[in-house]
Amino acid sequence: MPMKQSPALRPKPADALVVLAVILLACAMVAAVWGGGRGLTATVSVNGQVTETVDLSRLSDPVVRELSANGYTLHVRLFSGGAEVVDSTCPNQDCVHTGHITQAGQSIVCLPARISVTLSGGAENGVDAVLG
Amino acid sequence: MKRFLAAVFCMALFCSLTGCKSTGESSAEFYAMDTTMNVTAYGTGAKSAVSETQAEVDRLEALLSRTRSDSEVSAINSGAADAPVAVSIETAGLLNAAWSYSHTTNGAFDITIAPVVSAWGFTTDHYQVPTQPALDALLNAVDYTGVLVEGISSSSARVTLRKGQAVDLGGIAKGYASDCVEAILSENGVERAMASLGGNIYVRGTKPDGSAWRVGVQDPDRSGGFVGVLSLSDAFAVTSGGYQRYFEQDGKRYHHIIDPATGYPAESGLTSVTIVADGNKTETPNTPGNGTMCDAFSTAMFVMGEEKAAEFWRSGAYNFQMVLVTEDGRVLVTDGLADKFEQEDGSGYAYETISRTPS
Repeated sequence: MPMKQSPALRPKPADALVVLAVILLACAMVAAVWGGGRGLTATVSVNGQVTETVDLSRLSDPVVRELSANGYTLHVRLFSGGAEVVDSTCPNQDCVHTGHITQAGQSIVCLPARISVTLSGGAENGVDAVLG
Repeated sequence: MKRFLAAVFCMALFCSLTGCKSTGESSAEFYAMDTTMNVTAYGTGAKSAVSETQAEVDRLEALLSRTRSDSEVSAINSGAADAPVAVSIETAGLLNAAWSYSHTTNGAFDITIAPVVSAWGFTTDHYQVPTQPALDALLNAVDYTGVLVEGISSSSARVTLRKGQAVDLGGIAKGYASDCVEAILSENGVERAMASLGGNIYVRGTKPDGSAWRVGVQDPDRSGGFVGVLSLSDAFAVTSGGYQRYFEQDGKRYHHIIDPATGYPAESGLTSVTIVADGNKTETPNTPGNGTMCDAFSTAMFVMGEEKAAEFWRSGAYNFQMVLVTEDGRVLVTDGLADKFEQEDGSGYAYETISRTPS
């Protein structure tokens, strides 16, 4: 026996608008939380604490950051493809000798300064860790 | 009004979907043992595991560091050649493990190399090339059989050294720390984690997305480049290479991996050695396991060179896999690891597999 719809329950155009609004909000929230595809990102840490995160894919020109900690000062150049330490006042210059890093999972560390720059995100072939 | 309320309730329901993303990740970066350490863990026990890991590494540094005047190693080095020095069972266990690694590699790994390493300035970063007479005198003291561990009780042991000897546990301290970290993760019920202790890697389980951890093997000749990527889970991996620490004098490069037989940086035809082994099956806290073994063998195989390293691996005395990078441009991977090793296109190296039966 066919169901009779009472006039008060019949869907109206305004109901369709509500449904649409809810669906759009749901999609936006899912995209915001689960949306991947972040570009290559550089994370700067000092004494183990993150001080800055830079989305390198948004850099049209390289930027140079001056970082000082534990009595040492170094200059880090961040560019769309990666990062490098251009100079440092540390004695052994290991951070400068590291050269460019360009892949997720790679990092440059200045041990005396306790400053590190680590890359994450970007293309799929990045690594999670680098053997020392 | 009903329509409005219905809309609000539906939106609230959808908002709760974002809660599904949470992976319970906890991580820390810290400095210890003269290097950078990173640990990332997932799950409900992750936060306490990460915190305990930092405390444990600090404790081990205080116990084992040659440069800390109040460590047990410093006590051994300043007194054990004169009279037995009391040490903890933990240190005794590590010394015994070191002895086994020395014995099985015919001294290619030897913790009594300490005075020679100091003579080169690697302990203080004031590098210098020792004179031959100075090296010859110091080499007399390099002999792992001079380290005696006796009187082992449930809580302590006694260590004696031969006159002129000193020990340096730097070649296995990070590897041992990684064994201890594995036990901490296990005790906290953590099933997925990654730790890099100055480049000594331990990976537990798989990543949250179910894939294996990707661990890069550096190209010794190209800063920032890789020779390949290992896909690992529940494994330890350690690399030793001359490129990691060296100084240059009069146009010659001197690296930090000293050959105990010659007192000079090892020249074995290898530029790096990576040793990979499974996670420990018996997770007894504070005992040397595969992490310690990988650390010791990465040094030993580097000193031994390609042929002896392959022979040692084939003997099956210990269960591990390895990647050797040679001076003449080859990357050799043992056959048990080949399917987990992704070669780096364009690296310029020739890739070969080391099989169980020599060709």
